[in-house]
Amino acid sequence: MCASPFNFLRAGPPPLRVLLLPDALFFVRSVPVVIEPAAAEDAAQVASQVELVLDASSPFALAQLYYGHFWAQGSDHAVVFAAYRRRFTAEQTAAWTGADLVLPAFAAILGAGVEPATTVVLSSPEGLTAVRWDEGPVPSDVWFQPVPPGATDEERARARGDLLRHRESRNIIDLAAPPTAEPRRGDGEIVFRSGDFLSRLPAELARGLDVRDKEELAALRRARARDVVLWRIGIGCVAFFGLLALGELALAGGGLWQQARRVKFNAQAPVVAGIMTRQEVADRINDLSTRRLLPIEMLQAVHPQLLNPPRPSILFTRASTTGLYTLTADAETPNAGEIKTYQNELESLPVCANVVIKNQQTRDNVATFTLVVTFKPEALKPLAPAP
Amino acid sequence: MIRTLRALFLSRLLREKILLVALALVMAALWLSNLAGRFGVFLAEERHTTVSLTDQAQWLANRDAVEKLTQQSARAFKPEQTLDSTRLLAAVQSIATNAGLHNFNTAPPEDVSTAQFSVHTLQFTVNKVDYPSLVAFYLALQQKAPYIGVEQFIVQADKAMAEKGVSDSLNATMKISSVEIARKAR
Repeated sequence: MCASPFNFLRAGPPPLRVLLLPDALFFVRSVPVVIEPAAAEDAAQVASQVELVLDASSPFALAQLYYGHFWAQGSDHAVVFAAYRRRFTAEQTAAWTGADLVLPAFAAILGAGVEPATTVVLSSPEGLTAVRWDEGPVPSDVWFQPVPPGATDEERARARGDLLRHRESRNIIDLAAPPTAEPRRGDGEIVFRSGDFLSRLPAELARGLDVRDKEELAALRRARARDVVLWRIGIGCVAFFGLLALGELALAGGGLWQQARRVKFNAQAPVVAGIMTRQEVADRINDLSTRRLLPIEMLQAVHPQLLNPPRPSILFTRASTTGLYTLTADAETPNAGEIKTYQNELESLPVCANVVIKNQQTRDNVATFTLVVTFKPEALKPLAPAP
Repeated sequence: MIRTLRALFLSRLLREKILLVALALVMAALWLSNLAGRFGVFLAEERHTTVSLTDQAQWLANRDAVEKLTQQSARAFKPEQTLDSTRLLAAVQSIATNAGLHNFNTAPPEDVSTAQFSVHTLQFTVNKVDYPSLVAFYLALQQKAPYIGVEQFIVQADKAMAEKGVSDSLNATMKISSVEIARKAR
């Protein structure tokens, strides 16, 4: 049966790629640090003091060393460790590419929470390393006892006795196996385990333990920060897809609701059309029975030649009615000055509610214009029929 | 699971990360644009339907009032004197002939009907008519009110005749209506 392609999701995140270097290659010192409150960030101050100490005390230039340090907030000293770069082959350093952390093996246990006056002993094929804590989270001393290759258990026990002979400790913890990194649970800390022994290294402190070239590490950190930004943009997009999916659901629900309303509209449409027809019929019956259009009466009320005094120079060329009370007439006159006078006369008529002159223009000495007269309702009387 | 995905993403090459994020952004933009377009259409339809339904609700609420208005308006008419479209056409032709009009024509009547009432409207056009004849026709029509009524009136000078020196020639168009009430309605 084929394995699901999503099995890797159930497997959890891959373990950290941590390279533990042999302790024998490093020299270790405990150096005092002074934190000035007004100066730069504490960790940066410690890093610069560590570099100064290494520069002063090492027989090699700083650029020829792989080095790191361990310091915890509030501590008055730091553990510094360094190795001559040429003690590592090109093949060894090439393997560091892509590693999350490269540090000496003993540095992996520096995050352990141990009682004061405790010494932890790590065993490796090259020898034994002791890490001793007096007070506080930063070890006071780290030292190494080499063991010849192929040494017997007795020889190793003797070497352990030599290792611990000159340092008093209340507790001594022997680690049976080298510490290994636990799968990452977040960006906040790196956890190493050796049996029941746990060492929790906050990410900020773990950065100081990495012995790789500092410029290279800075570039790696920048790349990591950029990758995290890309990841967050990607996650933002996925969250946005969720919102869009909700929008699709809302739209689908709205579509169903809209469809129900359209069905209702279509069902009511014939009934409403019938009511509208009845309304139209009622209006027209009402108009025929109570209100009559009186176009000839309108025409005669405003015709220029029927006014007192008549205006024979103004001629109507076309007249039409709009609604029951409005007459629109196109007219022309060779005397444009008469138009205003004519308008004034119409406005003074008791039957006229409103008189508007528009579209005035002159062509070949003839002025044309449009007259729009609105009559007062019921002001006009029907003409009497001829006897 | 999210930590696993994060680790998987972070372990990819930079170009693969950029490609994945760019794809996600393009998909989001395309989806958003598409969804926004459909949402706009939905909103427009929703508004249109809301207005239409509100309009329908008003008409339905006024149904009884409209019916009452129709019945009230019809009380001014005697059903036996109302004219159907054929009788309207005949009446208008008769009145026009009696008024001395010759060059007239009528378009087929248009009807608006309910179960009980109908309104018939025909367009009457007369050419080259003198003003007194037009007035006589109009007055004769008005005598048939309210069973026949003029709904629209257009008159204009006949330019062709005016150029020949006949200044009193007119062309007129009217919309003439009649009401028909079914006998059983009263």
